[in-house]
Amino acid sequence: MTSAIHGNAKMTATATTRVLGVLAIAATALMTVLGLLVSPADVIQGEAVRMLYIHVPSIWIAYGAFVLTSVSSVLFLRRRKRREDQGRHYDRLAGSAAEVGVVFTGITLVTGMLWGKVTWGTYWQWDARLTTTVLLFVTYLGYLALRRLPAEPIIRSRRAAVMALISFINVPIVHYSVDWWRTLHQKASLSVGRRPEITGEMYWTLLYSALTVTIVAAWLIIHRYRVIRLEELRDEEALAALISSRLKKDDGSN
Amino acid sequence: MSEVATVVTGWGITFIVIATYSIWVVSRGKIIGQELGIGEMEQLDARKDAGATTDL
Repeated sequence: MTSAIHGNAKMTATATTRVLGVLAIAATALMTVLGLLVSPADVIQGEAVRMLYIHVPSIWIAYGAFVLTSVSSVLFLRRRKRREDQGRHYDRLAGSAAEVGVVFTGITLVTGMLWGKVTWGTYWQWDARLTTTVLLFVTYLGYLALRRLPAEPIIRSRRAAVMALISFINVPIVHYSVDWWRTLHQKASLSVGRRPEITGEMYWTLLYSALTVTIVAAWLIIHRYRVIRLEELRDEEALAALISSRLKKDDGSN
Repeated sequence: MSEVATVVTGWGITFIVIATYSIWVVSRGKIIGQELGIGEMEQLDARKDAGATTDL
């Protein structure tokens, strides 16, 4: 049993993820130079505009991570009866993406508050964008908490998948809140079908920052996925050891 | 807080959060790997690495 479990084990670091990790560090270093030194200050916002390069990519990545969580959850619910592993692969992917999404939503909130203090004169305002974003953060925290509740793994995964799909309803609401309601928050810097609000070096630095944050998030999701797999192996091994000791005890008493 | 201080604080918090989370994820993998007796976390050949992409 033990050797079979270990035979299936995937390690958290491979040559591919090491290359990805080095690429992430190098890309982050260049992003720092571009964002803090090369790109110009804004005419209206001054130096504070440099928050754009972490604030905006962070929420984009959070959206992407939550999309991945939802797609994986749908695949888990659809394929759990057909796949040999009962769709656990999709469940792990959903869990790892959601956790990384929560981290980046948290970064979005903190950097947004700091940026808001400089531009609006206040850290927090209960307007539509800010309120829906904090709701998104709390909802996915709830999703992560649900994944940790003690239950039969497949039942827990099914509950989490349903919760993930319910939580995702808020993602488009967060994104379009600045269009649907009058808010203090500015409209999207870049949006499909709309002329970009920014141009030139700022535009390219923002796109590059988004690429960098994507690489970092991909690295994190892959590693977190593998850690979840290891956690499952540990739990399976603990359960096997418990059953074995019970059987020995029963044999001894008979 | 000045604009520059705000930017430095924002970027600084971001780096600290991501670095802390990355270290936590990697070290948790190492600890559980040791508990399971997996030891050195290395996949040596490209075939296994390709397998890792399908099963992440």
